[in-house]
Amino acid sequence: MNKRKVTLAAAAAGVLTGATGLSLLAMPAGAGQPPSLPPVAPETLVEQVLTSEPGAFGGTIEVDNKLGLPAIAEIPQLADGKHSGRVWTDGNGKMRLALPNGQSEQTIVDDGTTTWVWNSADNEVTKSERRADKPDAEPDAKAADPATAAKEIVGLTKEFSDISVDGTARVANRAAYELVLTPKASEKTLVREVRIAVDAELKMPLRVAVLTNGTAEPAGTVGFTEINVGPQDAKLFEFTPPANAEVTTPEAKEREGREKRPEAGVEQALRGEDPQVFGTGWDTVLGARIPTEAMTQVPAEAQGLVDRFTKEVSGSWGSGKLFTTKVATVLIADDGRVVAGAVPEQVLFDTIGQVK
Amino acid sequence: MTTSASAPAAAPSTTAVAARTKGLRKEYGSTVAVDRVDLELPEGAVLGMLGPNGSGKTTTIRMLLGLVRPTQGEIELLGTPLPDGAEQALPHVGALVEGPGFHPFLSGRENLVRCAAFEPLLPKKQIKQAVEDALERVGLAQAAHRRFRGYSLGMKQRLGLAAALLVPRKLVVLDEPTNGLDPAGTREIRKIIAELHEQGSTVLVSSHLLSEVEATCTHVAVLHRGTVVAQGELTELLQAGGSALHVITPDVETALSALRQAKISARPLGDGLRVELAGTSAPQVIETLVKAGAGVYEATRWKTGLEELFARLTEAEEAERGMSAVDTLDGGAR
Amino acid sequence: MITRQLGSEVRWMLRRPRTLIGLFGLVLVPIVISFGIWTADGDGGGPGIAAILRGNGMVVPIFTLFLSLNLLLPLVASIWAADGLAGEAQHGTLRGLLVAPVSRVRLLFVKLFGLTAMSLFAVTLMAVVGIIAGTAFLGNDGMMTLSGTTLTTAEGLLRIAFFVVLVTFQMVAVGAVALAVSATTEHPLVVQAATMTSIIVFQVLGQFSSLDWLHPFLITTGFPGLVDVMRDPIPFDQISDSTLLAGCYLLIGTGLAAIRLVTKDS
Ligand SMILES: Nc1ncnc2c1ncn2[C@@H]1O[C@H](COP(=O)(O)OP(=O)(O)O)[C@@H](O)[C@H]1O
Ligand SMILES: [Mg+2]
Repeated sequence: MNKRKVTLAAAAAGVLTGATGLSLLAMPAGAGQPPSLPPVAPETLVEQVLTSEPGAFGGTIEVDNKLGLPAIAEIPQLADGKHSGRVWTDGNGKMRLALPNGQSEQTIVDDGTTTWVWNSADNEVTKSERRADKPDAEPDAKAADPATAAKEIVGLTKEFSDISVDGTARVANRAAYELVLTPKASEKTLVREVRIAVDAELKMPLRVAVLTNGTAEPAGTVGFTEINVGPQDAKLFEFTPPANAEVTTPEAKEREGREKRPEAGVEQALRGEDPQVFGTGWDTVLGARIPTEAMTQVPAEAQGLVDRFTKEVSGSWGSGKLFTTKVATVLIADDGRVVAGAVPEQVLFDTIGQVK
Repeated sequence: MTTSASAPAAAPSTTAVAARTKGLRKEYGSTVAVDRVDLELPEGAVLGMLGPNGSGKTTTIRMLLGLVRPTQGEIELLGTPLPDGAEQALPHVGALVEGPGFHPFLSGRENLVRCAAFEPLLPKKQIKQAVEDALERVGLAQAAHRRFRGYSLGMKQRLGLAAALLVPRKLVVLDEPTNGLDPAGTREIRKIIAELHEQGSTVLVSSHLLSEVEATCTHVAVLHRGTVVAQGELTELLQAGGSALHVITPDVETALSALRQAKISARPLGDGLRVELAGTSAPQVIETLVKAGAGVYEATRWKTGLEELFARLTEAEEAERGMSAVDTLDGGAR
Repeated sequence: MITRQLGSEVRWMLRRPRTLIGLFGLVLVPIVISFGIWTADGDGGGPGIAAILRGNGMVVPIFTLFLSLNLLLPLVASIWAADGLAGEAQHGTLRGLLVAPVSRVRLLFVKLFGLTAMSLFAVTLMAVVGIIAGTAFLGNDGMMTLSGTTLTTAEGLLRIAFFVVLVTFQMVAVGAVALAVSATTEHPLVVQAATMTSIIVFQVLGQFSSLDWLHPFLITTGFPGLVDVMRDPIPFDQISDSTLLAGCYLLIGTGLAAIRLVTKDS
């Protein structure tokens, strides 16, 4: 009635709305009610996942990482914490990845014949032609997409796992089944279970969560927070290097990069030409040998970095450094032998002797 | 903008009132600035609000203008209750409250233009003319282009007055308008008040100086420590206690009998007499006494009514502050 | 009536020497940045937008505004908010407006409008000078984004316009809260000090990861996300979060200012 009271009430309502809005914004987006979906047999779902062709889509991926990894200069998006990136694919091998790093951005475009990696922080484009003998030129790019990553995990481990469907979930506003892969009791692995949210309609994995022994929270989660399925703008899969950017090739980059970063040597060795594989399933161990000159050329400050994240170990196999995360362990012997796997350290000690 | 007020015609009072307060009280924390103030401001009157510094004049005026919410009591301004009816009544009210407020970096004219832009009754086209007229009226036309920062106290006061007079007003409220003015300025203010009175506007002017009020007002209200101690028409109040002469003479007996013969009432008082002036005048009394051979050392007019009351109030107040009761032009009110 | 009041308010703000000095200072920022990048050697590089400034004059306005949003623009907004109510109260002009009469709600609206109009003007002015200085010193060959794509000049101008609106909104939100403070005091400096202290403290708090539960409540948390305007295609979630956050501050500030103004004795 009274104008003054109406004004005061309206103003108070405004303040209240603002405050409520603030707390709503501060709250993590709720998972929402799990959708009700017709039951599906685990085996059928696995089969559908492996044969699914997601086609074209674009979306935002969030990586929630609690592995305890050190920040790696080249892929800071994988350091501890939440990181997000955007991915677009045309379903036929062309793709684009946008990985923001603070206020900078790394863009990776695969236009079908060439992979472009653009880094705004150094105004540099790395261009690699896709060669006939190496169709998957950029494993990095592929692994960041949860759909592809999950498919690979399922393919590699289904024989060694107990598979079940544990209810449903809503991921990126889509209904999904929760497919759970539990390593069989005989597997000597750090992983307790891997949960994969599979889109009910497209049978495409939307989220992967890795749970390890001893913790209830996933050690790592990769998933879409937003996805739109359907044809994407073709311009996204083209890349023209900016006029004043420096264009290099990965070979040139590695030549100058290897001396700088010791972890690159390990990474390179394990991922490189022909890593040695020991065992099967979840407790597979990869082994390699780093050229000795790479080991000795590590600069002092980089050596400090290595020392900070590793611990000295020794045994009948020799001595070296052990790097441990919740899901993986890496052992680097002083003579250049390297073994790594999602296994407890004892398994590595037992395996390292076999590295040639 | 809705009809929150009753039509003025429905007002029951016999004589039209421009403003009225009932049981007004304002507390600032534990200090009571104003208490039980019942004011009545008849339409067309010039009401002088008299009171020493700190007696609650400004606070009362602020409540009348809707600037301050009373703790208790009712206010009616130009027929609408305040503060809810402020938007209806205030366009017709011009006010100069507690010193003029203007922006130092703008010229006098620009300041007035800014005030004028917010006057609801002033059509946009007339702003320029209204501003020039107001400047002319307060005698600031020459200095209008100068920055307000450089104005003397008197010029600032005049500009404040000009802002109050931008639009023809039903009621003009002036809080200590002669503050800081030289004698000529004070006379001009009086002239403007007289003009407003002639045009039929109601004027409320507060002051701590009786002389000022006496010279311009038809009505008076005296405030003391936040309450109204006297109010009414000026002439009535001045005569409330009758008029008398205090005569100091050594021949009291002679004087008394002579006056009794002349049918003038008188009685001994101290070292002289008190002579009532009803039906006679001071020169006549002196003449009678001198003719009778009574020696007159001194004859002073007795302070009466309002004068007596105000003198008591102000002198008490100023004595408290250890100041002499000298009536200066500046009055020291701030 | 209202348009005339709004016009008078903006004219009054523009006439204030402090405003002019402030605008002059703001305009210097893009010029200094362009000149600095032009004289610096090296092939660019660095964090964020700074890395792509070289040879990319169209990014100067965005970089300038992005940089200024942390301190300079909130400062200017707080000055305007401080002069709007506290300054008017100090000069005794608030009384004059209220007995004119201007209703207190209307007065707040006029002040908010003045703040918005001047913020938009200042930000636009910086952007325009940024475009000119950037083009002059660094060249204009379309606008290169953080994603490595190159937009046409028209698209670039559109991005700049969008960014101008976003930054103005953040500025107005800060100003609205400053107005609420402004309604409680007669000392403009108190308002400026309170606002700037809060902005700085917020930014410091934002650095402590142990306080990350608090971060979503701080308006300054939303500032860095606006850089997404320079990505291609634009991801809108951070931008909308920042804008909503500022919107909440705007609501709270305006509401508190209204409550204070309506109950205030002047
Ligand atoms: N805003 C305020 N806060 C506290 N006390 C006040 C305020 N305004 C006035 N007062 C007190 O109220 C009393 C009356 O003041 P005022 O109305 O200004 O007197 P006058 O105008 O007659 O000199 C004084 O004692 C003064 O100290
Ligand atoms: Mg006073």
